[in-house]
Amino acid sequence: MIRCSDLHLTFNRGAPTERLALRGVTLDIPAGEFVTVIGSNGAGKSTLLNALAGDYQPESGAITIDEQDVTAWPSHRRAGLVARVFQDPLAGTCGDMTVEENLALAAGRGTRRGFSLALDSGRRDRFRETLRDLGLGLENRLGAQMGLLSGGQRQSVSLLMAALQPSRILLLDEHTAALDPKTAAMVMALTDRIVQDQKLTTLMVTHSMRHALDHGDRTIMLHEGRIVLDIAGDQRKGLTVQDLLDQFAKVRNEALDDDKLLLG
Amino acid sequence: MSVIALLGSVEIGLVYALVAFGVYLSFRVLNFPDLTVDGSFPLGAAVAATLITKGVDPYLASFAAILAGAAAGLVTAVLNLRFGILHLLASILTMTALYTVSLRVMGGPNVPLLMVDTVLTPFQGLGLQDYWLKPIVFAVITLLVALLLARYLNSASGLALRATGSNPRMARANGISTDATTYLGMGLSNGLVALAGALFAQANGFADVTMGIGTIVIGLAAVIIGETLLPARSVLWMLLACLAGSVMYRLAIGFALNADTLGLTASDLNLMTAILVGLALILPRLKREAASRRARRARTAQPTAARPTAGDAP
Repeated sequence: MIRCSDLHLTFNRGAPTERLALRGVTLDIPAGEFVTVIGSNGAGKSTLLNALAGDYQPESGAITIDEQDVTAWPSHRRAGLVARVFQDPLAGTCGDMTVEENLALAAGRGTRRGFSLALDSGRRDRFRETLRDLGLGLENRLGAQMGLLSGGQRQSVSLLMAALQPSRILLLDEHTAALDPKTAAMVMALTDRIVQDQKLTTLMVTHSMRHALDHGDRTIMLHEGRIVLDIAGDQRKGLTVQDLLDQFAKVRNEALDDDKLLLG
Repeated sequence: MSVIALLGSVEIGLVYALVAFGVYLSFRVLNFPDLTVDGSFPLGAAVAATLITKGVDPYLASFAAILAGAAAGLVTAVLNLRFGILHLLASILTMTALYTVSLRVMGGPNVPLLMVDTVLTPFQGLGLQDYWLKPIVFAVITLLVALLLARYLNSASGLALRATGSNPRMARANGISTDATTYLGMGLSNGLVALAGALFAQANGFADVTMGIGTIVIGLAAVIIGETLLPARSVLWMLLACLAGSVMYRLAIGFALNADTLGLTASDLNLMTAILVGLALILPRLKREAASRRARRARTAQPTAARPTAGDAP
């Protein structure tokens, strides 16, 4: 169970470029739920994800994971509970290390890293099996430099790495946005498979309304740092992209009206 | 060049291989440009020489030198990580401070090490001439350090260290405290450099406060020569390439100084080193530019040939 209560976060506070990124986000995610997050640029989607991961500290509000308050934990301490895949395929892996070394790094998430060898034959076999499931032929390239792989391959491996160790929540930050449509579809299918197989609690930010409705159990829409739409179950089932766009337009107008009231 | 001069070059090259390992750790593995080494090299020499003249066992004294160097590396890391001082500037601050520290440790600008036991003493009964003995002992020590270091860099903790330099954000997302690994790496790096200083002092019979000038450039020269001549992917091969680079650098310097026609003297060493490192840094770039020029010319010469597609690597 992940709980965000009344998160507030401001960038460049006091400067002319001050921006309220989160203005009171409250969100409960029960274990095993797959939530998709949509919203326009600057709505606060990535900020919410980074706050959950510990990259940003909220000014007020609290984040609890399984009743444990993790608000003040730095990201490396939270990593035992939080797994993530970044938007940039280069960001989630070390390009100048080999595929198996990257997997070994991820397999150590949330554990103490001692002086025993990071790779042995048992681990290599396990990694080879995991990579075989991808169907990309990477099981024969354990010793290849990560930097030699294509963006889609690197992102697939990033996804595998995020799922190698158990986590309380998996954070996906537009992880298919930098890929071509065919590769994006492949990575999305892999995402669904991993999330379902391991029953992972997942928060996925996406720029695609289609993806937001086709995947997961629940969809939330962020606008100007607030959750303006939160739909799940039957209500979500019949929804089309057009409905979502209409909702979005409505929300925006309302927001504009609010501002008019404030300003006027 | 006489055999003795040749072996002398090899010996110094082997000692400086430890500097190369340290520079490889900071510059390449951690991606932390660290100039502290110019101070930790004479610090190691000062600590070891002073302790030895006070009657301390030379091995224990060398170990104390490692600790002193590690402490110097930690100071630089604290200045950078805790107080946000730019890494280059942080290391220059430490380096400057270490000049005074070394003077204080020695109680003067230098300490002679004559008629005292050194790390070489236990092997002197073997009947080998000193000019053979020193390179052999240092080769064993350096190879041992290379093996241990490679083993460490392939451990879970060592992988975390490498990830810190390669992709710090990914490292943190995987639960690695990049601050902790940087402290560790900087301590290790400067500890190795201080060990080199300690061994250098014992091999040459003195420690001097000015012996650190240019250490960083010599270490970089060794790393770059090694990388250029022996491009390697595994960590152990990379370290052995640094070792080979360090020895080759010394041999090149030795030959240049011994060639009477060139008219070079020992005082020209720093300029030659700087030119050598400069060339090693410039040549790969010129080579790349020439290659891309050639490729462009080949393309314009045959306009019907396959045009580059978006997927073409540069």
